[in-house]
Amino acid sequence: MKPVRSPLPWLLMLVAGGAFAHHSDAMFERAKVLELTGTIKEFQFTNPHTWVQVEVKNDKGESVEWSLEWGSPNQLGRQGIRPSTFPAGAAVTIRTNPMKDGTAAGAFIGAKLADGTIIGSWE
Amino acid sequence: MTTTVHRRWRMAVMLVASGFYCLPALALPDWSGVWAMTGGTVFDAATRSGPGGSTTPGLRQRPPYTAEYEAKYLANMALRDKGVLPDPNSMCGIPAGFPRIFNLPDVYEFAVTDKQVWILSENGPNVLRIYTDGRAHPPVADRWPTHTGDSVGHWEGDTLVFDTLSLHSSESGNTMIDRTGLVLSDAAHVVTRMHIAEGDVMVVEMTIEDAKALTAPWVVTKRFNRQPAGTRVYDYACNENNRNPIDPATGWTYTIGPDGKIMDQSPSAAGSEE
Repeated sequence: MKPVRSPLPWLLMLVAGGAFAHHSDAMFERAKVLELTGTIKEFQFTNPHTWVQVEVKNDKGESVEWSLEWGSPNQLGRQGIRPSTFPAGAAVTIRTNPMKDGTAAGAFIGAKLADGTIIGSWE
Repeated sequence: MTTTVHRRWRMAVMLVASGFYCLPALALPDWSGVWAMTGGTVFDAATRSGPGGSTTPGLRQRPPYTAEYEAKYLANMALRDKGVLPDPNSMCGIPAGFPRIFNLPDVYEFAVTDKQVWILSENGPNVLRIYTDGRAHPPVADRWPTHTGDSVGHWEGDTLVFDTLSLHSSESGNTMIDRTGLVLSDAAHVVTRMHIAEGDVMVVEMTIEDAKALTAPWVVTKRFNRQPAGTRVYDYACNENNRNPIDPATGWTYTIGPDGKIMDQSPSAAGSEE
Protein backbone atom coordinates (compact mmCIF):
# COMPACT_ATOMS: atom_id res chain seq x y z
CA MET A 1 0.00 0.00 0.00
CA LYS A 2 1.19 3.54 -0.60
CA PRO A 3 -0.15 6.99 0.11
CA VAL A 4 -1.07 9.11 -2.90
CA ARG A 5 0.66 12.47 -2.86
CA SER A 6 -2.03 14.93 -3.82
CA PRO A 7 -4.79 15.89 -1.38
CA LEU A 8 -8.30 14.92 -2.32
CA PRO A 9 -9.87 17.43 -4.71
CA TRP A 10 -13.13 19.08 -3.69
CA LEU A 11 -15.00 17.36 -6.47
CA LEU A 12 -14.00 13.96 -5.18
CA MET A 13 -15.00 14.93 -1.67
CA LEU A 14 -18.46 15.89 -2.90
CA VAL A 15 -18.85 12.66 -4.86
CA ALA A 16 -17.69 10.58 -1.94
CA GLY A 17 -19.76 12.58 0.53
CA GLY A 18 -22.86 12.03 -1.56
CA ALA A 19 -22.24 8.30 -1.42
CA PHE A 20 -22.40 8.33 2.37
CA ALA A 21 -25.84 9.79 2.81
CA HIS A 22 -26.86 6.95 5.09
CA HIS A 23 -24.38 7.68 7.87
CA SER A 24 -21.65 10.01 9.05
CA ASP A 25 -18.31 9.78 7.25
CA ALA A 26 -16.39 10.92 10.33
CA MET A 27 -14.47 7.63 10.52
CA PHE A 28 -12.67 8.31 7.23
CA GLU A 29 -9.56 10.41 6.70
CA ARG A 30 -10.94 12.46 3.83
CA ALA A 31 -7.69 14.37 3.25
CA LYS A 32 -5.72 11.17 2.71
CA VAL A 33 -5.78 8.81 -0.26
CA LEU A 34 -4.29 5.34 0.09
CA GLU A 35 -3.57 3.04 -2.84
CA LEU A 36 -3.95 -0.70 -2.25
CA THR A 37 -3.02 -3.50 -4.63
CA GLY A 38 -4.54 -6.90 -4.14
CA THR A 39 -7.16 -9.41 -5.20
CA ILE A 40 -10.94 -9.08 -5.10
CA LYS A 41 -12.42 -11.43 -2.53
CA GLU A 42 -16.05 -10.34 -2.78
CA PHE A 43 -18.23 -7.48 -3.99
CA GLN A 44 -21.13 -7.10 -1.57
CA PHE A 45 -23.79 -5.47 -3.79
CA THR A 46 -26.11 -4.72 -0.88
CA ASN A 47 -27.98 -1.92 0.84
CA PRO A 48 -27.46 0.49 2.42
CA HIS A 49 -23.89 0.42 1.06
CA THR A 50 -21.86 -1.74 -1.26
CA TRP A 51 -18.55 -3.13 0.01
CA VAL A 52 -15.52 -4.15 -2.01
CA GLN A 53 -13.61 -6.81 -0.08
CA VAL A 54 -9.97 -7.02 -1.16
CA GLU A 55 -7.12 -9.28 -0.03
CA VAL A 56 -3.98 -7.17 0.34
CA LYS A 57 -0.49 -8.24 1.43
CA ASN A 58 0.85 -6.22 4.33
CA ASP A 59 4.48 -5.27 4.90
CA LYS A 60 5.13 -8.68 6.46
CA GLY A 61 3.71 -10.50 3.45
CA GLU A 62 0.59 -11.52 5.35
CA SER A 63 -2.80 -11.36 3.64
CA VAL A 64 -5.16 -8.79 5.14
CA GLU A 65 -8.79 -8.39 4.06
CA TRP A 66 -9.70 -4.75 3.47
CA SER A 67 -13.30 -3.49 3.45
CA LEU A 68 -13.93 -0.58 1.09
CA GLU A 69 -17.32 1.06 1.47
CA TRP A 70 -19.07 2.56 -1.56
CA GLY A 71 -22.49 3.95 -2.50
CA SER A 72 -25.81 2.13 -2.45
CA PRO A 73 -26.40 -0.52 -5.11
CA ASN A 74 -29.36 1.60 -6.24
CA GLN A 75 -27.25 4.69 -6.96
CA LEU A 76 -24.44 2.67 -8.47
CA GLY A 77 -26.76 0.39 -10.44
CA ARG A 78 -28.25 3.41 -12.20
CA GLN A 79 -24.68 4.44 -13.11
CA GLY A 80 -23.90 1.08 -14.71
CA ILE A 81 -22.19 -0.72 -11.82
CA ARG A 82 -23.22 -4.37 -11.47
CA PRO A 83 -22.56 -7.23 -9.02
CA SER A 84 -20.22 -8.58 -11.73
CA THR A 85 -18.17 -5.36 -11.83
CA PHE A 86 -15.66 -6.80 -9.36
CA PRO A 87 -15.26 -10.54 -10.06
CA ALA A 88 -13.75 -12.61 -7.25
CA GLY A 89 -10.10 -13.30 -7.88
CA ALA A 90 -9.50 -10.25 -10.09
CA ALA A 91 -6.28 -8.32 -9.59
CA VAL A 92 -7.06 -4.74 -8.65
CA THR A 93 -5.54 -1.48 -7.47
CA ILE A 94 -7.88 0.55 -5.28
CA ARG A 95 -7.80 4.11 -4.01
CA THR A 96 -9.48 4.80 -0.71
CA ASN A 97 -9.87 7.38 2.03
CA PRO A 98 -8.72 5.12 4.85
CA MET A 99 -10.11 4.86 8.37
CA LYS A 100 -8.63 7.41 10.76
CA ASP A 101 -7.76 4.72 13.29
CA GLY A 102 -5.75 2.60 10.84
CA THR A 103 -8.09 -0.38 10.69
CA ALA A 104 -8.26 -2.18 7.34
CA ALA A 105 -11.18 -0.30 5.86
CA GLY A 106 -11.98 2.89 4.03
CA ALA A 107 -14.23 4.83 1.71
CA PHE A 108 -13.95 3.58 -1.85
CA ILE A 109 -12.82 6.21 -4.38
CA GLY A 110 -11.87 4.24 -7.48
CA ALA A 111 -10.25 1.11 -8.83
CA LYS A 112 -8.13 0.01 -11.77
CA LEU A 113 -8.38 -3.57 -13.02
CA ALA A 114 -5.52 -5.47 -14.65
CA ASP A 115 -6.80 -4.65 -18.16
CA GLY A 116 -6.77 -0.93 -17.36
CA THR A 117 -10.51 -0.61 -16.79
CA ILE A 118 -11.25 2.25 -14.39
CA ILE A 119 -14.17 1.95 -11.97
CA GLY A 120 -15.28 4.99 -9.98
CA SER A 121 -13.01 8.06 -9.79
CA TRP A 122 -9.35 7.91 -10.81
CA GLU A 123 -7.96 11.41 -11.31
CA MET B 1 -84.53 -0.54 -35.93
CA THR B 2 -85.48 -0.20 -32.27
CA THR B 3 -82.53 -2.37 -31.31
CA THR B 4 -80.14 -0.19 -33.32
CA VAL B 5 -81.43 3.00 -31.65
CA HIS B 6 -81.06 1.41 -28.23
CA ARG B 7 -77.56 0.35 -29.07
CA ARG B 8 -76.64 3.90 -30.13
CA TRP B 9 -78.15 5.36 -26.97
CA ARG B 10 -76.34 2.82 -24.85
CA MET B 11 -73.06 3.59 -26.59
CA ALA B 12 -73.61 7.34 -26.12
CA VAL B 13 -74.35 6.87 -22.42
CA MET B 14 -71.24 4.72 -21.99
CA LEU B 15 -69.06 7.29 -23.75
CA VAL B 16 -70.39 10.12 -21.59
CA ALA B 17 -70.01 8.00 -18.45
CA SER B 18 -66.46 7.03 -19.31
CA GLY B 19 -65.70 10.70 -19.98
CA PHE B 20 -66.96 11.68 -16.53
CA TYR B 21 -65.11 8.76 -14.97
CA CYS B 22 -61.85 9.96 -16.53
CA LEU B 23 -62.37 13.61 -15.72
CA PRO B 24 -60.62 13.70 -12.34
CA ALA B 25 -57.55 11.94 -13.72
CA LEU B 26 -57.48 14.14 -16.84
CA ALA B 27 -57.66 17.28 -14.71
CA LEU B 28 -54.61 16.36 -12.66
CA PRO B 29 -51.03 17.08 -13.74
CA ASP B 30 -48.67 14.42 -15.06
CA TRP B 31 -46.07 13.85 -12.31
CA SER B 32 -45.14 10.41 -13.60
CA GLY B 33 -41.61 9.13 -13.93
CA VAL B 34 -38.66 9.08 -11.55
CA TRP B 35 -37.22 12.21 -9.95
CA ALA B 36 -34.01 13.09 -8.15
CA MET B 37 -33.32 15.99 -5.80
CA THR B 38 -30.83 18.61 -6.94
CA GLY B 39 -28.49 20.58 -4.72
CA GLY B 40 -27.53 18.00 -2.09
CA THR B 41 -28.87 17.24 1.37
CA VAL B 42 -28.13 20.59 3.00
CA PHE B 43 -31.77 21.44 3.66
CA ASP B 44 -31.84 25.20 3.15
CA ALA B 45 -29.43 26.08 0.34
CA ALA B 46 -30.56 29.72 0.38
CA THR B 47 -29.12 30.37 3.85
CA ARG B 48 -26.15 28.01 3.79
CA SER B 49 -22.67 29.27 4.46
CA GLY B 50 -19.36 27.48 4.77
CA PRO B 51 -17.70 24.92 2.52
CA GLY B 52 -18.51 21.32 1.66
CA GLY B 53 -21.55 19.25 2.57
CA SER B 54 -23.78 18.69 5.56
CA THR B 55 -21.15 16.68 7.46
CA THR B 56 -18.43 19.31 6.96
CA PRO B 57 -17.43 21.39 9.98
CA GLY B 58 -18.06 25.04 9.25
CA LEU B 59 -21.11 24.57 7.07
CA ARG B 60 -24.35 25.83 8.54
CA GLN B 61 -27.74 27.31 7.69
CA ARG B 62 -29.59 30.22 9.25
CA PRO B 63 -33.24 29.52 9.92
CA PRO B 64 -34.95 32.36 11.80
CA TYR B 65 -34.42 30.43 15.02
CA THR B 66 -35.36 31.65 18.46
CA ALA B 67 -32.44 31.89 20.89
CA GLU B 68 -33.43 28.55 22.40
CA TYR B 69 -33.41 26.75 19.07
CA GLU B 70 -30.29 28.50 17.83
CA ALA B 71 -28.59 27.06 20.91
CA LYS B 72 -29.95 23.60 20.08
CA TYR B 73 -28.66 23.92 16.51
CA LEU B 74 -25.22 25.08 17.66
CA ALA B 75 -25.05 22.11 20.02
CA ASN B 76 -26.03 19.70 17.23
CA MET B 77 -23.46 21.23 14.88
CA ALA B 78 -20.79 20.76 17.54
CA LEU B 79 -21.70 17.04 17.66
CA ARG B 80 -21.70 16.96 13.85
CA ASP B 81 -18.18 18.40 13.86
CA LYS B 82 -17.05 15.53 16.11
CA GLY B 83 -18.85 12.97 13.94
CA VAL B 84 -21.17 11.95 16.77
CA LEU B 85 -24.49 13.62 15.89
CA PRO B 86 -27.12 10.97 16.64
CA ASP B 87 -28.94 11.22 13.32
CA PRO B 88 -32.10 9.04 13.39
CA ASN B 89 -31.82 8.64 9.62
CA SER B 90 -28.67 6.56 10.11
CA MET B 91 -30.56 4.02 12.20
CA CYS B 92 -32.21 1.67 9.77
CA GLY B 93 -35.97 1.53 10.14
CA ILE B 94 -36.63 5.03 11.46
CA PRO B 95 -38.55 7.06 8.87
CA ALA B 96 -37.01 10.27 7.58
CA GLY B 97 -40.26 12.05 8.41
CA PHE B 98 -41.44 15.39 7.15
CA PRO B 99 -39.97 17.74 5.96
CA ARG B 100 -36.84 15.59 5.61
CA ILE B 101 -38.62 13.35 3.13
CA PHE B 102 -37.97 16.17 0.65
CA ASN B 103 -34.25 16.14 1.52
CA LEU B 104 -33.04 12.66 0.59
CA PRO B 105 -30.56 11.22 -1.89
CA ASP B 106 -31.46 8.47 -4.39
CA VAL B 107 -34.72 8.94 -6.31
CA TYR B 108 -38.41 9.72 -5.88
CA GLU B 109 -41.80 9.05 -7.38
CA PHE B 110 -44.74 11.46 -7.03
CA ALA B 111 -47.92 9.42 -7.39
CA VAL B 112 -51.04 11.46 -8.12
CA THR B 113 -54.49 9.96 -7.67
CA ASP B 114 -57.84 11.69 -7.48
CA LYS B 115 -58.04 11.36 -3.69
CA GLN B 116 -54.43 11.25 -2.46
CA VAL B 117 -50.90 12.14 -3.53
CA TRP B 118 -48.06 9.92 -2.39
CA ILE B 119 -44.48 11.11 -2.12
CA LEU B 120 -42.37 7.95 -2.41
CA SER B 121 -38.66 8.11 -1.67
CA GLU B 122 -36.44 5.20 -2.66
CA ASN B 123 -34.13 6.02 0.24
CA GLY B 124 -35.63 4.64 3.41
CA PRO B 125 -38.02 3.90 1.76
CA ASN B 126 -40.43 6.59 2.94
CA VAL B 127 -44.02 7.47 2.10
CA LEU B 128 -45.78 10.79 2.66
CA ARG B 129 -49.54 10.56 2.19
CA ILE B 130 -51.33 13.77 1.31
CA TYR B 131 -55.13 13.55 1.40
CA THR B 132 -56.78 15.62 -1.33
CA ASP B 133 -60.30 14.24 -0.92
CA GLY B 134 -61.53 17.24 1.02
CA ARG B 135 -60.97 15.93 4.51
CA ALA B 136 -59.64 18.14 7.29
CA HIS B 137 -56.97 17.37 9.89
CA PRO B 138 -58.27 15.20 12.73
CA PRO B 139 -59.34 17.08 15.86
CA VAL B 140 -56.54 17.72 18.36
CA ALA B 141 -57.80 14.95 20.63
CA ASP B 142 -57.60 12.45 17.77
CA ARG B 143 -54.06 13.00 16.60
CA TRP B 144 -50.61 12.36 17.98
CA PRO B 145 -47.12 13.20 16.71
CA THR B 146 -45.71 10.95 14.00
CA HIS B 147 -42.69 11.13 11.70
CA THR B 148 -44.65 12.35 8.69
CA GLY B 149 -47.49 14.02 10.61
CA ASP B 150 -50.87 14.59 9.00
CA SER B 151 -51.12 16.19 5.56
CA VAL B 152 -54.27 17.45 3.86
CA GLY B 153 -54.28 19.38 0.63
CA HIS B 154 -55.99 20.57 -2.51
CA TRP B 155 -55.16 21.49 -6.08
CA GLU B 156 -54.85 25.07 -7.29
CA GLY B 157 -54.59 24.40 -11.01
CA ASP B 158 -51.44 22.31 -11.46
CA THR B 159 -50.10 23.22 -8.02
CA LEU B 160 -50.63 20.93 -5.04
CA VAL B 161 -51.01 22.88 -1.81
CA PHE B 162 -50.95 20.93 1.43
CA ASP B 163 -50.85 21.56 5.13
CA THR B 164 -48.85 19.38 7.53
CA LEU B 165 -48.85 19.23 11.33
CA SER B 166 -48.71 16.73 14.20
CA LEU B 167 -45.02 16.06 13.63
CA HIS B 168 -42.36 14.51 15.80
CA SER B 169 -40.04 17.16 17.17
CA SER B 170 -36.70 17.90 18.74
CA GLU B 171 -38.36 17.21 22.08
CA SER B 172 -39.04 13.63 21.02
CA GLY B 173 -35.44 13.24 19.89
CA ASN B 174 -36.33 10.99 17.00
CA THR B 175 -36.42 13.32 14.04
CA MET B 176 -33.99 15.69 12.37
CA ILE B 177 -34.08 17.59 9.07
CA ASP B 178 -30.50 17.14 7.93
CA ARG B 179 -27.08 16.04 9.10
CA THR B 180 -26.05 19.50 10.28
CA GLY B 181 -28.60 19.03 13.08
CA LEU B 182 -31.59 21.19 12.02
CA VAL B 183 -34.63 20.51 14.20
CA LEU B 184 -38.13 21.86 14.77
CA SER B 185 -40.43 21.81 17.80
CA ASP B 186 -43.76 20.04 18.33
CA ALA B 187 -45.45 23.28 17.24
CA ALA B 188 -44.21 22.98 13.65
CA HIS B 189 -46.81 23.64 10.96
CA VAL B 190 -45.83 23.54 7.30
CA VAL B 191 -47.65 24.68 4.17
CA THR B 192 -46.15 23.16 1.03
CA ARG B 193 -46.69 24.13 -2.60
CA MET B 194 -45.58 21.67 -5.30
CA HIS B 195 -45.63 22.26 -9.03
CA ILE B 196 -43.64 21.54 -12.16
CA ALA B 197 -41.83 24.64 -13.34
CA GLU B 198 -40.22 25.38 -16.68
CA GLY B 199 -37.53 22.89 -17.58
CA ASP B 200 -39.43 19.93 -16.11
CA VAL B 201 -38.29 20.76 -12.59
CA MET B 202 -40.51 19.85 -9.64
CA VAL B 203 -40.40 22.78 -7.23
CA VAL B 204 -41.34 22.12 -3.62
CA GLU B 205 -41.71 25.28 -1.55
CA MET B 206 -42.23 24.76 2.15
CA THR B 207 -43.29 27.60 4.44
CA ILE B 208 -42.48 26.46 7.94
CA GLU B 209 -44.03 28.12 10.96
CA ASP B 210 -43.10 27.11 14.48
CA ALA B 211 -44.13 29.25 17.45
CA LYS B 212 -41.45 27.69 19.68
CA ALA B 213 -38.51 27.33 17.30
CA LEU B 214 -38.87 30.20 14.81
CA THR B 215 -39.31 33.96 15.03
CA ALA B 216 -40.70 34.20 11.48
CA PRO B 217 -41.88 31.85 8.70
CA TRP B 218 -38.97 29.89 7.25
CA VAL B 219 -39.35 29.32 3.51
CA VAL B 220 -37.30 26.49 2.04
CA THR B 221 -37.37 25.41 -1.60
CA LYS B 222 -36.23 22.00 -2.86
CA ARG B 223 -36.02 21.06 -6.53
CA PHE B 224 -36.20 17.71 -8.30
CA ASN B 225 -35.27 16.78 -11.87
CA ARG B 226 -37.21 14.19 -13.85
CA GLN B 227 -34.87 11.31 -14.68
CA PRO B 228 -34.55 9.75 -18.14
CA ALA B 229 -37.49 7.62 -19.29
CA GLY B 230 -37.09 4.03 -18.22
CA THR B 231 -35.19 4.82 -15.00
CA ARG B 232 -35.93 2.18 -12.39
CA VAL B 233 -36.45 2.41 -8.65
CA TYR B 234 -35.08 -0.34 -6.42
CA ASP B 235 -35.50 -1.79 -2.95
CA TYR B 236 -33.73 0.00 -0.15
CA ALA B 237 -33.40 -2.70 2.48
CA CYS B 238 -31.43 -0.77 5.07
CA ASN B 239 -30.82 -3.77 7.31
CA GLU B 240 -29.78 -6.04 4.44
CA ASN B 241 -26.10 -5.48 5.15
CA ASN B 242 -25.78 -2.49 7.47
CA ARG B 243 -22.14 -2.56 8.54
CA ASN B 244 -22.36 0.82 10.27
CA PRO B 245 -24.27 0.55 13.55
CA ILE B 246 -24.52 3.65 15.73
CA ASP B 247 -23.24 3.53 19.32
CA PRO B 248 -26.26 4.78 21.30
CA ALA B 249 -24.01 5.96 24.14
CA THR B 250 -21.62 8.10 22.08
CA GLY B 251 -23.36 8.62 18.71
CA TRP B 252 -20.28 7.22 16.94
CA THR B 253 -20.79 5.26 13.71
CA TYR B 254 -18.93 1.95 13.98
CA THR B 255 -17.66 -0.12 11.09
CA ILE B 256 -18.20 -3.89 11.06
CA GLY B 257 -15.43 -6.00 9.57
CA PRO B 258 -15.65 -9.07 7.35
CA ASP B 259 -15.76 -11.31 10.43
CA GLY B 260 -18.96 -9.62 11.61
CA LYS B 261 -17.24 -7.87 14.52
CA ILE B 262 -16.83 -4.14 15.08
CA MET B 263 -13.45 -3.05 13.75
CA ASP B 264 -12.96 0.35 15.29
CA GLN B 265 -13.34 2.11 18.62
CA SER B 266 -15.39 5.26 19.10
CA PRO B 267 -13.12 8.26 19.67
CA SER B 268 -14.45 8.70 23.21
CA ALA B 269 -13.68 5.06 24.01
CA ALA B 270 -10.18 5.57 22.63
CA GLY B 271 -9.73 8.69 24.74
CA SER B 272 -9.32 10.92 21.71
CA GLU B 273 -10.54 14.49 21.46
CA GLU B 274 -11.59 13.81 17.84
